[in-house]
Parts: sequence; structure tokens; C-alpha cells
Amino acid sequence: MSFLFGGGRPQPSSAEKIAAAEAEIEMVSNMFNQLVDTCTKKCIPNQYREADLNKGESVCLDRCVAKFFEVNVKVSEKMQGEAQQRQGGAMGGGGGSMFG
Amino acid sequence: MSGMDMLNAAEQRELQGRMERKQMKDFMNMYSNLVQRCFNDCVNDFTSKSLLTKEEGCVMRCVDKFLKSSERLGERFQEQNAQMAQQGGMMGGR
Repeated sequence: MSFLFGGGRPQPSSAEKIAAAEAEIEMVSNMFNQLVDTCTKKCIPNQYREADLNKGESVCLDRCVAKFFEVNVKVSEKMQGEAQQRQGGAMGGGGGSMFG
Repeated sequence: MSGMDMLNAAEQRELQGRMERKQMKDFMNMYSNLVQRCFNDCVNDFTSKSLLTKEEGCVMRCVDKFLKSSERLGERFQEQNAQMAQQGGMMGGR
């Protein structure tokens, strides 16, 4: 395997590919479990007067999912932004901090 | 899920096996959470050894309600996920 001019990374091994796919699925599945946990806590009061979801609970659950996703997106955007800022800052301000 | 397209048949089978085991684990977790939740919320009277009728009824309704909400949340989750995939996903998309 030649690495001339960085032109081509080694193919990921079978185990690595499976692990990557598994990690992706796990991320989604964990997110779902968290979602179920918090939305049922927030939307389903603990009296259980009846077995079916009433209209209020149903609507609450729907909105909870939408908001949960929105929060996820916003947090990930912000963290990406911070990471980029830090990278940019580290490269540009690295010299300054050494003498500062 | 871009990662999944590049797996050959054998790798997909391996992944499938792992996913099935994970699903089993998740189911067991859900089950024990449910028992805990419904017990905590419904059973508070220890003057007798067996469940009172009202406690039993409460537990049954609790399970029903929880399963129905899980189902509904699953549907909404899939919808949101699909929407998100269309819009390029989180963490910069793939």
C-alpha cells in the first residue's frame, strides 16, 4: 500500500466497517431511547386513569419529539461552531498565547 | 446511513446479528424500566401482600399507556429522522 502524496488511505478492514455501521445505528437507537424516556416523563402524568392516550398527551408527545430533534440540531450546530472557532483560534492565536 | 452501503453480504449478516442482540437487550431494558415505573407510580399500599384491585388496574393501564406512547414516539421519530436525512442530517451530514 503506497502512501505517496497522501493519495489513498488504506481500505478500512471488515471489522472497522462493521463497527462504524454499528456505532451509527447505536447512536440513533440511544437517541430514541432517551427520547422515549424524557418525553414520557414530561407528557404522561403518573395517574394512569385510562389505558389510552388522550388528546392532550398525544399532542404533547408529538411536540416533544419535534422539539427534541430541534434541540439536537441546535446543540450540534453550536458545538461544531465552537470546535471550528477553537481550531481557528488555536492556529492563529497560538503564537500570541506563548508570549502573552 | 452511508456507512451501511459499503458492507458486503457477510458483513451485513454480522451487523444484522449484532443488531438483533442489541434489540433484545433494548427490549429487556424497556421491560425493566416499565416495571419500575408502573410499580413506583401505582403501588403504594403495603397493608397487604397481594396487589389491591385498584393497584392492579393502575399497573395494567400504565403498561398500556406506555406501550402506546412508545409506539407514537417511534412513528414521530421516524418522520423526524426522515425529514432530517433530507435536510442533510446533523453534525454536518454525510
